[in-house]
Amino acid sequence: MSDAQPDRREQARVVAAARRNLKRQLARGAIVRAMGTGTAGATADASGTHTGANASGVDRASDTGGAAARLPPPPPTTIDIVAAQNHGNGLERVERWFAASGRTPFAFQRAAWRHHAEGRSGLIHAATGTGKTLAAWLGPVIEAIDERTGSGSESTQWTSTKRARRLRVLWITPMRALAADTLASLAAPLAELGLGWRIGLRTGDTPGADRIRQDRDALDAMVTTPESLALLLSRPGQRDLFGELVAVVVDEWHELLGTKRGVQVELALARLKRLAPRLRIWGVSATLGNLDEAERVLLAGRPGVVVAGEEPKTLVIDSLLPHDVMKSPWAGHLGTRAAAQVAAEIEHSGTTLVFTNTRSQAELWYQALLAARPDWAGILGLHHASLSIESRRFVENGLRTGAMKAVVCTSSLDLGVDFAPVDRVIQIGSPKGVARLLQRAGRSGHRPGLPSRISCVPTHALESIEAAAARAAVDDGAIESRRPLVKPIDVLVQHAITIACGEGFAREVLLAEVRDTHAFATLTDAEWDWVIAFAGGGGVLDAYPEYRRIVHGDDGIHRVVEAKLARRHRVQIGTIVSDASVEIRYLRGDRLGSVEENFIARLKPGDAFVIGGKAVSFVRMQEMTALVRRATPRTAVTPRWLGGKMSLSNELARHIQYELQSAAHGHAEARETKALSPLLSLQARHSRVPNADELLAELHATREGRHLCVFPFGGRHVNAALAALVAWRLARTTALTFSMAFNDYGFELLSPVDFALDAAALRAALDPAHAADDIAASVNAAELSRRHFREIARVAGLVFQGYPGEGRSARQLQATSGLFFDVYAEHDPGNPLLEQSRREVLERELELTRTLATLEALRMRTLIVNTPERMTPLALPLVAEQMRNKLSTEQVADRVARMQVAMQKPERRLRAAA
Amino acid sequence: MPLREPRAPAGGAEPSDSSSARPGSASSAPGAAAIVSVAGAVPPGALGVEAGGEHLLLLPERVAFWPRTRTLLVADAHLGKAAAFRCGGIPVPSGTTDVNLERLTQLVFACDATRIVFLGDLVHSKAARQAVGTSFAAWRQRHAGVDIVLVRGNHDARAGDIDAAWNVRVVSDPLIEDGLALCHAPRPVAGAFALAGHLHPSAMLTGRGRDRLRVPCFWFAATQAVLPAFGAFTGTADIAAATGDRVFVVAGSRVVALEASSEVER
Repeated sequence: MSDAQPDRREQARVVAAARRNLKRQLARGAIVRAMGTGTAGATADASGTHTGANASGVDRASDTGGAAARLPPPPPTTIDIVAAQNHGNGLERVERWFAASGRTPFAFQRAAWRHHAEGRSGLIHAATGTGKTLAAWLGPVIEAIDERTGSGSESTQWTSTKRARRLRVLWITPMRALAADTLASLAAPLAELGLGWRIGLRTGDTPGADRIRQDRDALDAMVTTPESLALLLSRPGQRDLFGELVAVVVDEWHELLGTKRGVQVELALARLKRLAPRLRIWGVSATLGNLDEAERVLLAGRPGVVVAGEEPKTLVIDSLLPHDVMKSPWAGHLGTRAAAQVAAEIEHSGTTLVFTNTRSQAELWYQALLAARPDWAGILGLHHASLSIESRRFVENGLRTGAMKAVVCTSSLDLGVDFAPVDRVIQIGSPKGVARLLQRAGRSGHRPGLPSRISCVPTHALESIEAAAARAAVDDGAIESRRPLVKPIDVLVQHAITIACGEGFAREVLLAEVRDTHAFATLTDAEWDWVIAFAGGGGVLDAYPEYRRIVHGDDGIHRVVEAKLARRHRVQIGTIVSDASVEIRYLRGDRLGSVEENFIARLKPGDAFVIGGKAVSFVRMQEMTALVRRATPRTAVTPRWLGGKMSLSNELARHIQYELQSAAHGHAEARETKALSPLLSLQARHSRVPNADELLAELHATREGRHLCVFPFGGRHVNAALAALVAWRLARTTALTFSMAFNDYGFELLSPVDFALDAAALRAALDPAHAADDIAASVNAAELSRRHFREIARVAGLVFQGYPGEGRSARQLQATSGLFFDVYAEHDPGNPLLEQSRREVLERELELTRTLATLEALRMRTLIVNTPERMTPLALPLVAEQMRNKLSTEQVADRVARMQVAMQKPERRLRAAA
Repeated sequence: MPLREPRAPAGGAEPSDSSSARPGSASSAPGAAAIVSVAGAVPPGALGVEAGGEHLLLLPERVAFWPRTRTLLVADAHLGKAAAFRCGGIPVPSGTTDVNLERLTQLVFACDATRIVFLGDLVHSKAARQAVGTSFAAWRQRHAGVDIVLVRGNHDARAGDIDAAWNVRVVSDPLIEDGLALCHAPRPVAGAFALAGHLHPSAMLTGRGRDRLRVPCFWFAATQAVLPAFGAFTGTADIAAATGDRVFVVAGSRVVALEASSEVER
């Protein structure tokens, strides 16, 4: 990489590729001109181009079947803008820049720039692809131009000197995969505006050498992720780094709000506010039900404005329905049976995005579409967050150049970056929420006068009704809210260690800073002292002799002084979002992506799996990398990435019941609901299609045992809570073991032995009286908080990924989250992390408030207990559900008496389902 | 059914070297570990088995008792593991070592044992050894009449020599006594039935009604067996049992014999 010759050649290629891109883009008349053309007029910093990475990239292009596209070199991580001559103040230049492409800024963009200039912070919300990025970005850009020109209008060309340069704008994006695109969009207007900034990427994908360069020669603007920002906070010299910030932009704030990463951002903002006196905070968000709250959480009580974007385009939601509903599967999540039908749709459309809800579903659909159309090899892409940056870039680039016919993707492509609108958007399975549906639909149809359109493909028959419900919910304007998190102690423990790794902190000062967030505004002194002690700062913890991670210095500052501990913490910061992941590489070195450690741990050499649409077989582990070689697809299994299932929102759940009721009464209007009528008559014949004022329960027996299916239509989370509650109350009097399944419509309790149940008993089990206590008890009985503790242990830094260099001594300090949970429960039962786990299960997995409201509402409904002869269409998806909770009040020995030792067949279930 | 190595034990024990991790070649030899009724007082919940010509009691406390020699066989106690975590900057509350020693005390009395053989990994690490030094020595004094032997395990080897005050005789793997070879890592020992630890074995059980349960287990093959980990703060690793293996699971307060089934519960 130090070889200068190839570097210069690479530079030339970057520039040429960027120019080609720009031309193509302009030729297509794309609305957002900024898109993907970032390097126009810019020289790529040599550090951003890697001959090594590039070599593998080119190989990948051929690998993906690609006569279609040659892969351009990786995008630079640092861009030095070579400013063109320009004159006038910032706003004038921006207006001229818009005019040069025949556009004028939208009113909301001008408003955002003015608010920024006048020192205000705020939240910008607008539909995808309507210019949110420029609304947030050009405010600080205009300001910088005005400062440099003394807001005069003489012609100036600025190239900032190293000495003068300090970081001015920090751009936080939730998706590492999209950061490179964001950087390009931000770079795009700068050259023509005459602003010679150096802007760069700082994410987990940024190579070490580039980071070092960025540290040496400061950037004017940086695009980063919450995790990489936390890493920056773990370093000394914070005021030098952040003191001159004028703006922080939090992109896709709706994705972060209500998550622990969002709280991580809140904490970082509190710090930046204190370090940078001139700082303004801007959030960028898609439509949300609670925008005002979203703004308040972001600004933590600072006054601010909400800037509303252009009205969203009109939206068309339709469905690709199976030709014969009775022949389509009645259960399942994959729906690949419809692949041929979807392929036909893609055939007749231009560029198409095929959205799936999970990464494994994306992998399976990619294979299914390729099987239907082998000739699409190379022009059918796959994009999800666990693929290597090279393959993601290959696909993104193909979307931009139009080389891709279709891309199968997850939410990795429904966020943010303004890439070219596509012609068609297809949603596999339920979108699970109105806001998500709107966002995904927004990827299509940017041509004036044309609506956005999204076509839903049900993965099982009953699901087709969800498109109809979504349409009704959109008409009602029923868009979901995202509730902010309050006091996630695990995040605070992590933050305290992070700060202690860098500058260190004084108790009072950091407490005041932490309270300057929405999440920890009500943090008590006692809670803070516990956090410091648990983070390793000594004090209140009697049960933890000789535990010390943070040293309380004579100067009153808490610091992590042991380099090994600081290093371990920094490595672990990135795992706040996900489980420890293992990188997948071919033996000869090319990166394929990553999968969770759990998946790899179950493989033996020779086992085949699919990643990025390629079948590979596992060879061996080498530190945190799994080496693989090509394999025949025949025996390959598809990894499951955790990440969980989304719950149907309240809004959608309600509308589904209306649809069912209208169908039951024979006046369904939606095409999807009408198409379901044979299935619903079958349901009516064997049991009943419940009205909105009825609660249906079905009891039936199979060789597996006794099944109780109940259909409250509460949404997945509420139904999970009701399942736990009913199971707990039934098993309290008689020793029973239940396997519990739930979906958005209802829940199932399965018992291996028969259990007595009549309408009165079920009514009693659903009694709202003492329900909150009983649900809390059921959480313990079903070990839900123990399972949830996995996330908390990770965030609080209890479990960590091994990393090269520490070897054995690090492995000796590894234990599972379950072990941590057990040891706390037994020896430190007052540990606030246990309480947090219980609270998070109740609030987030079981939605206690919504559950209690549902119980009250159920009291008004007529309870119907049927005993159908066979499994009904409503019950089947529940019975087929694989993700289950357990609740048992039996003696272990009694349970064991019915059991055998399982022979392990990893991922067998998934294959069967596929 | 192809055999696989178990996953690395989650609790910090080392995953085994691949070839030594599985007890015996199960397919050739007939029925391992016949269940027998053992003469004398049998503690509640225990199960008697025959191995290498000797009768053993498998106890729900995750240890084996050898009545003829009045010996408790204890694998993977990992004393001081929690303390080692604390020293390494990871907050794990104290108390697990006291619990471990108290359980040992009760076992000594319940079985009227005169000897304890630790099948390796008595202490978790050097920091652990130092942290539990005093409390183990004090416990040892209260049980001065009990002979204590440690078959050195991988953790013990790295933890360094144990304190003379512990009064523990340390021997190398294997310790051969009568028909039994007492080892740390499972391996075949010619002419003897090998009893080992190291793997922290657990079994994933499935049953009617889609019930699933993970329990610690004793894993017996034709010529060797693996004991569950005794320590309170230790993880487990699921076994990959072969046809013909016997699996004795710790089901609450009882040890129960189960067959490995090839029928996968759906």
